[in-house]
Amino acid sequence: MRYSPTLVDHFLNPRNAGMMRLPDATGEGEYSGCGDLARVFLRVLDGRVAEARFQAYGCGPTIAAASAVSELIALRPVDDLVHLKPEEVERALDGLPDDRKHAAEVVTEAVRAAAREWLGRRI
Amino acid sequence: MTRRVYLDHNASTPVHPEVVAEMTPYFDEMFGNPSSVHGFGRDAREGIDIARDRIARFVKVPADQIVFTSGGTESDNFGIKGLALARGRGHLITSAIEHHAVLRTVQALETQGFTATYLPVDAHGRVDPADVQKAIRPDTIAISVMHANSEVGTVQPIAAIGRIAREHGVAFHVDAVQTFGKLPIDVDAMNIDLMSFSAHKIYGPKGVAGLYIRKGTKMIAIQHGGEHERRRRAGTENVPGIVGFGKAVEVRGRDMHDEAVRVTALRDRLWHGIAARVPDARLNGHPTERLPGTASICYRHVESESIVLGLDLKGIAVSAGSACTSGNVEPSYVLVAMGVPIDWAMGAVRSSLGRSTTADDIDYVLDSVEPLVRKLRQALPVGAA
Repeated sequence: MRYSPTLVDHFLNPRNAGMMRLPDATGEGEYSGCGDLARVFLRVLDGRVAEARFQAYGCGPTIAAASAVSELIALRPVDDLVHLKPEEVERALDGLPDDRKHAAEVVTEAVRAAAREWLGRRI
Repeated sequence: MTRRVYLDHNASTPVHPEVVAEMTPYFDEMFGNPSSVHGFGRDAREGIDIARDRIARFVKVPADQIVFTSGGTESDNFGIKGLALARGRGHLITSAIEHHAVLRTVQALETQGFTATYLPVDAHGRVDPADVQKAIRPDTIAISVMHANSEVGTVQPIAAIGRIAREHGVAFHVDAVQTFGKLPIDVDAMNIDLMSFSAHKIYGPKGVAGLYIRKGTKMIAIQHGGEHERRRRAGTENVPGIVGFGKAVEVRGRDMHDEAVRVTALRDRLWHGIAARVPDARLNGHPTERLPGTASICYRHVESESIVLGLDLKGIAVSAGSACTSGNVEPSYVLVAMGVPIDWAMGAVRSSLGRSTTADDIDYVLDSVEPLVRKLRQALPVGAA
């Protein structure tokens, strides 16, 4: 298997998959190379992520990355998420093959976009 | 131990035990070079002769019209380039859904001054023989159309196309890699001049295939060297492979008909089961004129690779109709040519059944597909794809 057990577990048992009613912020990431799309919903309390949910279309690693990032960002200050790095998502999946790095990039972009939206709204 | 179900027989098949038994002595006992005059060489030569006779009997042609090659791709290259280069210039006709071994060979010839027409297919993936008729020009030198498509399994009206080719005196090549040993082929009734066929799709070994060349067809060799294969294809023969190929074909002659009936029923059980359980699924290819074991199914709004991965984790081997390579995903050119909408085409998954497939396997697949597709769809962004 070319994917880590952690990635496979996220793919088979995605955490926080699905829509969120009246989120405080949403963000999307898209990878034009292959049409992968991730959408992240945030519920924010006291400037921190109280709940994150996701929707994703794409290959297995993209779905797994969306699931992993929804856990990774829980309770983190939204300010920090603007600077979230794909490498951090990749580490949470115990690695990605070279030709699937875009999975981490798509979901990172979605989280950053949601964080920017929330910060913009606050101002 | 996870249960394992192999539904990728159009990609390759396990070597039949009778084939393995036949091949084994040719690795370490009868290992001589068939061109050698001594006993070791004669033993190897005899193995090749027996294999060629078996295949010729199956195809119902004289043995000297069968040439062994290293694979289906070489057979297609040899057939098409051999025809074209023997004529030097001219126009080729093929279809938009051929295997890359044909498409890229024709494209390569276009860079060398030949011209080509790529025929469209209908929604079932069939070439209309009337389109072949219309495409023929005074300088048309060859027509190459596959017998059946590997992705969707649609069988082409080869006899009708062959009739048109013969009427116009145009050479006719058929890539029969997916049908040889699975469906009856009559090269005379179908007016086939050249036919590519391969061993590893029919429970033979990899690395060996054949090209039938009708006597009198104007051809040149494209691989030069020794006097092998009556100077048509140079290179020391893959003796164990050819011996195994001969045995595999003999076994197909015995088992082909009964297996086609059994596998067709399982194929239909798979599709009807999915249609009943999974919403937004569609079957690709011709409803009846289709390879016995092939079921290509699109799951709308789901990406095929995620289904392939999910099923692989259940021990089920199927193949994706769209492939994400190096972060670039393309829907299958075959489905695009058939006019399948992109939001369906991206979710194409091919199952190809074979001699070991059981009804129990199909039920296991059905039990695995429905929850997987449901779960993948739950995570979908609204309006995605």
